[in-house]
Amino acid sequence: MLTVLRGGHVVDPANGRDAIGDVWFRDGHIVAPPPGGKADEEIDVSGHVVMAGAIDIHSHIAGGNVNTARLLLPELHRAIRARLAGTPLSTAKWSTFETGRLYAQMGFTTVVEPAMAPHASLQTHLELNDVPIIDKGALTVLGNDDFLLRMLRKGEAESAVNDYVALTVGNTRSLGLKCINPGGCEAFKENLRVFGLDDEVPFYGLTSRQIFQALQKSTQAVGIHHPLHLHMNNLGIAGNIDTAIDTIDAAQGLPLHLAHVQFYAYGKEGKNAFSSAGARFAEKINANPHVSVDVGQVMFSDTVTISSDVLKQFNSLPGGMPKKGAIFDGDANGGGVVPYAYKISNFYNAIQWAAGLELFLLINNPEQVYFTTDHPNGGPFTTYPDLFALLMSADLRARIMARLPAEALEHTILPSITREYTLYEIAQMSRSGAAKLFGFTDRGQLAPGAIADIAVYRPGKDIAGMFRRAAFVFKDGDLVVRDGAVTHYKRGRTLNIRPRYDSNITTRLDAYYDELYGLPRSIFDLPDAALPHNDAFAEVACRK
Amino acid sequence: MSKATLDGKAIPLQDACREAARILGGATFPVIAGLGADVAGARAAILLAEQLRGAFDHLASREILADLDVMRSFSMFTTTPNEARVRADVLLFVGPGLSALWPGMLERLAPGQPPRHGAQAGHPRRVFWIGPEANEAANIPATVIPASCDELSELLAMLRARVGGRPVAGDDARRTGIDELADVLKNAHFGVVVWSASSGIDPLAIEMLQAMVADLNVTTRCTGVPIGARAGAAGVTQTAGWMTGFPPRTGFGRGYPEHDPWRFEAKRLVESGEADAALWISAYDGEAPPWSNNDLPLITLSPAGKEPGRGLYIEVGKPGVTHDAVEFAQEIGSLALRKSHAPTGAPSVAQIIDAIATELRGEVSC
Ligand SMILES: [Zn+2]
Repeated sequence: MLTVLRGGHVVDPANGRDAIGDVWFRDGHIVAPPPGGKADEEIDVSGHVVMAGAIDIHSHIAGGNVNTARLLLPELHRAIRARLAGTPLSTAKWSTFETGRLYAQMGFTTVVEPAMAPHASLQTHLELNDVPIIDKGALTVLGNDDFLLRMLRKGEAESAVNDYVALTVGNTRSLGLKCINPGGCEAFKENLRVFGLDDEVPFYGLTSRQIFQALQKSTQAVGIHHPLHLHMNNLGIAGNIDTAIDTIDAAQGLPLHLAHVQFYAYGKEGKNAFSSAGARFAEKINANPHVSVDVGQVMFSDTVTISSDVLKQFNSLPGGMPKKGAIFDGDANGGGVVPYAYKISNFYNAIQWAAGLELFLLINNPEQVYFTTDHPNGGPFTTYPDLFALLMSADLRARIMARLPAEALEHTILPSITREYTLYEIAQMSRSGAAKLFGFTDRGQLAPGAIADIAVYRPGKDIAGMFRRAAFVFKDGDLVVRDGAVTHYKRGRTLNIRPRYDSNITTRLDAYYDELYGLPRSIFDLPDAALPHNDAFAEVACRK
Repeated sequence: MSKATLDGKAIPLQDACREAARILGGATFPVIAGLGADVAGARAAILLAEQLRGAFDHLASREILADLDVMRSFSMFTTTPNEARVRADVLLFVGPGLSALWPGMLERLAPGQPPRHGAQAGHPRRVFWIGPEANEAANIPATVIPASCDELSELLAMLRARVGGRPVAGDDARRTGIDELADVLKNAHFGVVVWSASSGIDPLAIEMLQAMVADLNVTTRCTGVPIGARAGAAGVTQTAGWMTGFPPRTGFGRGYPEHDPWRFEAKRLVESGEADAALWISAYDGEAPPWSNNDLPLITLSPAGKEPGRGLYIEVGKPGVTHDAVEFAQEIGSLALRKSHAPTGAPSVAQIIDAIATELRGEVSC
């Protein structure tokens, strides 16, 4: 069936479009307007904004740690309303089903879960499989695993490390690598409570710097599009801007993605020894175009922090709100889950909020900075519409700033920033740039050949409302959202890459599992037969 | 081939699925209970419970919730069995019958071998066992502190006090043992406590144990390995968690999940008459329902040889034995695919429930 969306304001930065026009699609893909062609279905979207489906590059939506958060906090996600027909469990708060529904309603069609432990990848994929409508992807976590650290300690050839990386990413069916407090979780098992960029991992003689640099190189060598996705040391600590700057300096000029950088944008000024260093950080990022970042914006709300940075999460436990949590020392990283409430009246939270916005507004290239709240760590993903509104309206920011503790405003330059994001820039950040960051050529844009993942918004005074309830959302050409409500489910795919490696590494790994664990390595496998559907995955090509 | 019976008389499988759909579809508030199933079975059962606006419970919910309640009211430190194997310099087993609840435990945790990683790599582990069954600790180099199950809470309270340097009363011999253990835990680099809510241990004892672990982490490292309950409990709990946000004992009467360990206990729902039909699933071992009410319309899914005399029965295979199944693998502390080693062709719980759900939608199947 040939469909045309007629007369909308098409915002498609990948193709330089920002004008009134039509978008045609057939059989799940965007097509060129057929000469003299007549659509089987014509939808009038005049007065609407038409964009490709949005891509969230970093949101903790699946896996053992996320599930621990669900089970830890029943009081935080009581459901309140029955679901619509055709959408089972879609109002079960914090469920995978609700996740798919809520993302779709906001016009999101692809979401990446950024922290999959190799030894628990099956559960992550089972959960992703139960997120309806949208496509998913995941990043595999390495950098606290004994096998890698041993290789690096022995000074093995880069080719061996590359084979290990390629095999692990391939076997866990992910889109690339994340490294979370490299070496720091191993150090925490040996009772270290702080771990910086140049601290040594006990018994391995390696620093965080060396570990992430090795993985950064490997990521490039095996052809993974997405740069190494790094969760740096010293998250959340006053003065950690120095760690961030040093980390960028350590990036060797190679591509590097820094996760939730707001949590590293802290100076030590003022009587509370806590200030925003967003401006200094943004300047550094502007000067290093090979570095991309997502922000991890704090949005004032009751939430829960979920992280594989076990050391950091352990340190957060005494400040939990409510005071409880789960600390899990995994085979490599593990995870920690601690509830938290960001309050507008809290000085520290206000600084965090302002630091995040400074980063957004002072980084020049919208394809270098990504909106995230590091869901749910800075706030739930459902606050994205409010975040977009903040970026697009200096007036709205001023209204919120008026409610912050006055002393917080002394330690941020946010009040002086007048920049307002345009729709085009929002689309760069959430569509074209996000697709490039993962090497997706089939989405994040509306050129013929792309999949027909399309979000149509009705603009109005209420910017957040516009993004919260898309007027229409098409997934693979199928109309799944109308007037902000999901009409039915469809099954999305989990995107993954298959980098190549020398199969000698498998023999070596088999022997390692046998010797250390006395277990066949295959117990950690992710066979197709383990998932409910045999078409759960879709492969994305590696970089040549 | 599968077998189905109605009140003991053989009926075709498709008729059985249709009859099951009729019973469940006609009920006002059906309960899906037992739920002894693999992940696929749990997933199908929960979707069915939601579709029917009924409730679901697991036959080991008491044990599941004993651990969960400690986490959700206090906190929980855990690790994987393999991390314990390679790093623990001190292992503390708590309670009786652990090696029967987890037959591979001693092989996996290898108390007789030194840890491989960390500060104590290559040095023999210190191993303690509070309250084992007679002879349970005989073949491992463990210091045994004898205790009955009832005494565990008190002993763990003493141990926690001694770890915190607080004085305790009690007889001298026992206090000496506790003192020694407290000292060893405080000086451990990576201590690991092992327990099972299925051992008969009081939930308060689990809280005491985790409180002690939290205390120890102020100065050193200590964590725990819980042993999951029977009949796929841990995998079912994970599945319920991502599908609904809640563990078993969750109902959908209002069209959305509500979790209430008292309200949605299957036995109570049945005996009070609040539930007017039950689907009982016990694919691992064909356990019988715990309720005394025998008039309730009942559908049983259990393996060959475990057919009840009453109600509708549909034979299912054993997960991971007669068919491939994803379940919680205790030896790695996460989900894994178990390949069948004695395939029979008997359908899985998921297959039967899918067939019932299809009948409910008025489509042809089975
Ligand atoms: Zn994150």
